[in-house]
Amino acid sequence: MSQNHGPLSSTERIKQSSDNLRGTLAESLLNDVTGNIYEDDVALVRFHGMYIQDDRDRRDERAQKKLERLYSFMIRLRLPGGYLSAEQWRQMHHVAGDHSTGTIKITTRQTVQLHGVLKSHVKPTLKGFNQASLTTIATCGDINRNVLCTSNPIQSKVHAQVFEYAKAIDELLLPKTNAYYEIWLDQEKLEEKQSEEDPLYQDRYMPRKFKIAIAIPPNNDVDVLTNDIGLIAVIENDELLGFNIAIGGGMSATHGNAENYARLASVIGFADTKEKVLKTVYEILTIQRDYGNRSDRKLARLKYTVDRMGLDWWKQELINRTGFEMEAPRPFTFDSRGDYYGWQKDHEDKWHYTVFIENGRILDTEQLALKTALYEVALTDKSDFIFTCNQNLIISNVKAKNKAAVNKILQQFSIIDHTKNASLVRRNAMACVAFNTCPLALAEAQRYMPTLLTKIEPILEKHALQNERILIRMTGCPNGCSRPFAAEIGFVGTAYGKYNMLVGGDSVGLRLNKMYKESLDEAQILNELDNMLGIYKIERKNDESFGDFAHTKWLNGQPLQRTASTFADPILPVNKN
Amino acid sequence: MSILSNQKLSAFQQLLSGASKQELIWMNGYLSGLLSNGTIQQTEVEVAVAAPSVNKITIAYGTETGNSKKLAVTFAAKAKKAGITAKVVSLDQYRLNDLPKEEYFFSLISTHGEGEPPAAARKFYDHIHNNGFKLEKLKYGVLALGDTSYPLFCTAGEQVDAQLEKLGGQRIIPIQKCDVDYEHDADSWFDLLLHRLSAPPTINEVAVAAAPVVIKKSVVKKIYNGSIVTNINLNDRGSNKQTHHIEIVANDEIDYLPGDALGVVPENVAALVDPIVELLGIDRHKTYHFRHEQMTAYDLLKKKLNIFFLPERVVAKYAQLVGQDIPPAKIGLLDLIKIYPLKNNDQFGQLIEILEPIAPRLYSIASSPEAHSGEVHLTVARDRFKVNDEWKYGLCSDFLTCLPSETAIDFYIHRNSQFRLPDDDKDIIMIGPGTGVAPFRSFIAHREATGATGKSWLFFGDQHFVTDFLYQTEWQNWLETGALTQLTVAFSRDQSQKVYVQHKMMQHGQQLYEWLASGASLYVCGAKHPMSTDVEDTLMQLIEKFGNKTIEEAAQFVEQLRDEERYLKDVY
Ligand code: SRM
Ligand SMILES: Cc1cc2nc3c(=O)[nH]c(=O)nc-3n(C[C@H](O)[C@H](O)[C@H](O)COP(=O)(O)OP(=O)(O)OC[C@H]3O[C@@H](n4cnc5c(N)ncnc54)[C@H](O)[C@@H]3O)c2cc1C
Ligand SMILES: Cc1cc2nc3c(=O)[nH]c(=O)nc-3n(C[C@H](O)[C@H](O)[C@H](O)COP(=O)(O)O)c2cc1C
Ligand code: SF4
Repeated sequence: MSQNHGPLSSTERIKQSSDNLRGTLAESLLNDVTGNIYEDDVALVRFHGMYIQDDRDRRDERAQKKLERLYSFMIRLRLPGGYLSAEQWRQMHHVAGDHSTGTIKITTRQTVQLHGVLKSHVKPTLKGFNQASLTTIATCGDINRNVLCTSNPIQSKVHAQVFEYAKAIDELLLPKTNAYYEIWLDQEKLEEKQSEEDPLYQDRYMPRKFKIAIAIPPNNDVDVLTNDIGLIAVIENDELLGFNIAIGGGMSATHGNAENYARLASVIGFADTKEKVLKTVYEILTIQRDYGNRSDRKLARLKYTVDRMGLDWWKQELINRTGFEMEAPRPFTFDSRGDYYGWQKDHEDKWHYTVFIENGRILDTEQLALKTALYEVALTDKSDFIFTCNQNLIISNVKAKNKAAVNKILQQFSIIDHTKNASLVRRNAMACVAFNTCPLALAEAQRYMPTLLTKIEPILEKHALQNERILIRMTGCPNGCSRPFAAEIGFVGTAYGKYNMLVGGDSVGLRLNKMYKESLDEAQILNELDNMLGIYKIERKNDESFGDFAHTKWLNGQPLQRTASTFADPILPVNKN
Repeated sequence: MSILSNQKLSAFQQLLSGASKQELIWMNGYLSGLLSNGTIQQTEVEVAVAAPSVNKITIAYGTETGNSKKLAVTFAAKAKKAGITAKVVSLDQYRLNDLPKEEYFFSLISTHGEGEPPAAARKFYDHIHNNGFKLEKLKYGVLALGDTSYPLFCTAGEQVDAQLEKLGGQRIIPIQKCDVDYEHDADSWFDLLLHRLSAPPTINEVAVAAAPVVIKKSVVKKIYNGSIVTNINLNDRGSNKQTHHIEIVANDEIDYLPGDALGVVPENVAALVDPIVELLGIDRHKTYHFRHEQMTAYDLLKKKLNIFFLPERVVAKYAQLVGQDIPPAKIGLLDLIKIYPLKNNDQFGQLIEILEPIAPRLYSIASSPEAHSGEVHLTVARDRFKVNDEWKYGLCSDFLTCLPSETAIDFYIHRNSQFRLPDDDKDIIMIGPGTGVAPFRSFIAHREATGATGKSWLFFGDQHFVTDFLYQTEWQNWLETGALTQLTVAFSRDQSQKVYVQHKMMQHGQQLYEWLASGASLYVCGAKHPMSTDVEDTLMQLIEKFGNKTIEEAAQFVEQLRDEERYLKDVY
C-alpha cells in the first residue's frame, strides 16, 4: 500500500525547496525587463492566489513586433461561502478598475477573479484588497481552496450556522507561512521561523489542489459531490444535526486517457458535532497528504487515492487518525442546483435579490451597466453581497425598509428586466473562462456560450421546451471548470470550434453525464440538439428531466465513461424525487 | 612615332627641356588633370622629397559628427611626415585672440542644420563675422564638408572662406567643398596645400589668391539602390507612438560601420502635390529645368522640390515674386499659394526657380554589417504633430513608415566618425531612450557577431512597458546569451510620477560610476532636448556624488571622458 509510486514530480521539489512558498518571488517582481516571473515561481505564486498568464489572442502579433507575450496575472479572492460586505465590494470595484481589465469575474467556486493585472500592479492590488481585509492566499495551488457553502440565506434557518462551518474549515486549513505578508504586503520578516511550523502542510503541502463544499439540501447549488470533500448538512425541523461526509469528487478528465476521469464523491459517513466534523475533515487532508500521488500530478487528486486505497481502507485509516468512527450516512434529497432569481425573503424578513450574470462577467456594456449598478448598490451600504456557484450574485441581507431603495437602483439600471428576461436555459447555463486568458483552453467557452445559446433557444421554442430547466455547461478543455460532466448536457472543447457532447447527467448532481458524440462543430451540435429535443418532447414520460431521459434513451445505462454510479451507488441514497 | 606634327613636337620638346623638375611634375599633373575630366586640375605632388619652407601651421576644425576632426588628425600626421608641425585644435577650444597672430591657418569645417556651422564652431564663426579687426599676417585655406543633397551646400565653409578674406587674410589655396564621400577630395586638397607650403609655386601667391578658383569637381557621394523587405510598427496597440523597424536590402555591399547613419531624401505625398497641380493648373507633363536637371512638372513637385514646409528665405523670395508682404515664417507651399496666390499661373516657372530641393533626413543605422550582411535596418518614429488642431506627419518619417515591402528606395551612408565602438575588450554604457536605441541594437549585434569580450549596459526608456518596449525580445535574448550584460529600463508613464533614463542612471549611480572609473565608454543617442542635456546633468551629479568629487572635479572627469573619446553623443 502507501505511496506506491515513482520519483517526486518537479513541483514537489519546488515546493519543498521554496522556503515556505517564498522561492524567488521577490526577485521575480524586481525584474522589470519582463512581465513574466522565473520558472519555479510559476508554481509558487499560485499558493498566493495568482496565476501568471498571457493574452493568447495577442501572441502572434506581439511576436511580430518583437514584444514578449502580453503577460499578466489572474488574481483570485478567498471568500468562504462567497460573502462580501458592501464596503469590501466598493474596494474590490476600485482595485479592479485601477489594476485589472476592470471586469470582475465571478467563478464557479463562489469567488471572483481579476484578470490582466500587470506585474507592477500586483502589489498594489493585494495591498488594496488587504485594506478591506480581503485576501487571495491559497486560492490556487496544492492546498485547500475557497470553501463553498450553499449561497442563498433563504435556504434554511440554519444557513448562518452552516456558513460558520465554511469559515471554520477555511481557517483550520490555511497555510502557516508568513510569505504572503512579507512578499506582497511588505510586512517585515518574522525572526522566529518556528511560528511558521505547519503540522498539516509541512513543507510539501498537498499533492494537488484540494476542494471542499458544504450543501444545504434540498439545494445542491454547490455541486457538493464534485469536490474532494463534500459536506451535506442534515437538518431536521430547522435544527442542524450534523453532516454527511463524502470524499473523492472531482471533474477533470483527459481526452483519450481513461486513467483520468470525472468522479462524484462517495458518501462515507455522518458526523454530528462541529469538533468531529472539523477533525474528520482535517484528517482526510492528512491522509491524502501522506498517501496522495506525488510523482504523477495527473493522478494526484484525492479521487485517485480514494480509488487506489478503497473506501474501506479510508474509513479505517480515518478511525485510526480521528479516534472515532463516523455514523452511517443519513438520507438526503436534492431538488435542484439552480439559484433563486429575483427577490426572496428569509426567515428573518431580510430580502435577497439574485442577479443573473452571464458567465459571471461583471462589466458595463452598451446594453447593461451592470458594474456601475452594483457599485451604486454598494454605495448605499444597505446590503451584503454573496456570490453563487452558478457564477451569479445575491444582493443579500436587505432590511425590509431598505428594499425599495435597492430595488430602485436595480430598476433604474434595468438589472431586474435583465434578470427576468433571460431565458431559463441561459440562466442555468455555465461556461468556464477559456480563451483568451486560460493557457489550457483548446476551445472557446465564456466568449462563445452566449452565442451558442442564442441559437439553441429557438430550437427549444420550436419544441415548446423553453420552460424546461435543462442544465447546459461548457468548458474549453476537459479540466471541467464549469463542472460540465455534472451537467445534463456538457460541451467539452477538444479543438478550436470543436466540442465533445456529453449527455445524461441528472438535474441535481447525483449522476454524471457520459460521452454522446465527439468533436462536434456548431452545425453538428445544433443538429443533434434539434433531433434529441424533438424525440425527448415526444417520448419523455410526464416530467422526466432531459438528463434522465437521455441517460436511458441514448446511453442505455452503459457508462462510456466511469461515473459516480460505478463507485458510490451502494451508499448513495435513492433520490426521493 | 609621334602623333604630333613636327612643329608641335619641337615646341613641346623645347618647353620640356627648359623645365625644372618641379615644373615637369606640375605640367605632368596639369595634363593628367586635363585628360581625367576636361577641367583644369591642381597638381598632386609627391611631397616627401620637397624641403619645407614653412614649418608651423594650425589646423582648426569645426565638427558635429567627427568627420572634420578625423581629417584634421590625419592631415597633421601627413604634415609631420613632410617636416611641418601642425597644431590641431577644435574651433570651440580655439583662443580667438590667437587669430591675429596666426601665420598659417587652415580651417576644416562642416555645415549643419540649415546651412549653419557646427555648434562647436559657432563662437569662432560669429567672431569672424563681426569684423572689428584685421588679420594682416594670416595666410589661410578652407576645407568645407557638406552634403550636396542639402539646399545650402557647404555654406558654413564658404562663409568662413569669404570672411577671412574680408578681414585681410590671404587665401593661399582655393576652398575645397566636399560631399559626404569626402575622403578623396580632402586628401588631394591637403596634398596640394603641402606642396604649396613646402615649395611655393613659381607663380606668386597673390596671383593664386586672385586666380579664378578652378578646381576639380567634387566626388559625388555613393547612392545605394535598395528595396524595403520589412516595415513593421514596433509599438503595440494602444500606444501613443508609432515606431517602425525597417529593413532594407541593397544590390551592392553597403559600406558602413556601427554608429553611422543612413541618409534618404523623401518624396512628397500625392495628397499634397495634386491640389497644387490643380490650383495652379499645371501641365503635369511639361518639363522644366531645375539645378542641372530636366524633369516633368509633376515629378519635380513629387520628388524634388521642398513644398512641404518652406524655410523663411524661400518665403521671402516668394513674397517678392507675388509682390506682397508675407510674414517671415515657415509655411507649406499649398497654404502659401492659397493665401497669397501667384499673379498668374505662368509664374510657375519662376516659382520653381526660387524653390529648394527636399533636404535629406538621417536615421541611425540599427543593424551591423557583421550580423546583418547585405541589409541595413532603421528605427523610425513617425513624427506626429498638431498644426492648428490638425494632426500632421513629418515628411520623411511618414514617407518611410508608409513604404510597403518591395518598394525601391535610394539612400546613402552618412559616416559618424565620432560614434564608434571602442576596442572589443572595453566596456560600454549606452543611454538610448526611444529611437535613440537604434545604434545600440547595431552595437550589440556587432559585438555579438565579432565575439567582443567587453561588458555592455543599456539604458532604455519610453512611455509604457507593455506597448513601447522597442526590440524587447531581442534584448532579452541578448541578456541570455550574455551579448548584453545589463539592461535598465525606465517607462515614464507606467506610474504616477514620471521616470526617465536619467533617474535610473542616478539609481544605479554607484555601479555606473565604477564602470566609468574602470574605463567604460558612455554613449548617448536620441533626442537632443531635453534628454541629452538632462542625461549630462545627471552624469555630473552622479560622478560628484559617487566619485565623491567637487562639482569642478566632476566637470573635469567628464571633460577627460570627452578627451579620451569615452563620452560620445549622437543626438538630434
Ligand atoms: C475561474 C474558473 C472557471 C470559471 O469560469 O469560473 C477556473 C479557471 C481555471 N481553472 Fe479550474 N477554474 C474554476 C473551477 C474549477 C472547477 C469547478 C469546481 O471546483 O467546482 C474544476 C473541476 C473540479 C475539480 O477540481 O476537479 C476545475 C478544474 C481545474 C483543473 C483540473 C484539476 C484536476 O484535477 O486535474 C485545472 C488544471 C490543473 O489544475 O492542472 C484547472 C485550472 C484552471 C486555470 C487556473 C488554468 C490554469 O491552471 O492555468 C483556469 C484559469 C482560467 C482563467 O483565465 O481564469 N481547473 N476548476 C473556476 C475558479 C474556481 C475558483 O474560484 O477557485
Ligand atoms: C544624426 C541623426 C540621426 C537620427 N536618427 C534617427 C533615428 O534613428 N530614428 C528617427 O526616427 N529619427 C532620427 N533622426 C531624426 C530624423 O532625421 C528626422 O529629423 C525625423 O524623422 C523628422 O523628420 P521628418 O521629415 O519626418 O519631419 P519634418 O517634416 O522634417 O518635420 C520636423 C518638424 O518640423 C515641424 N514641421 C514640419 N512641417 C510642419 C508644418 N507643415 N507645420 C508646422 N510644423 C511643421 C514639426 O515640428 C516637425 O516635428 C535622426 C537625426 C539625425 C540628425
Ligand atoms: C542634421 C544635419 C544637417 C546637415 N545640413 C547640411 C547642410 O545644410 N548643408 C550641407 O552642405 N551639409 C549638411 N549636412 C552634411 C554634413 O555637413 C556632412 O555630413 C559632413 O560630413 C559632417 O561633417 P562633420 O562630421 O565634421 O560634422 C548636414 C548633416 C546633418 C547631420
Ligand atoms: S476548463 Fe479548461 S479551458 Fe476552461 S478554464 Fe478550466 S482549464 Fe481553462
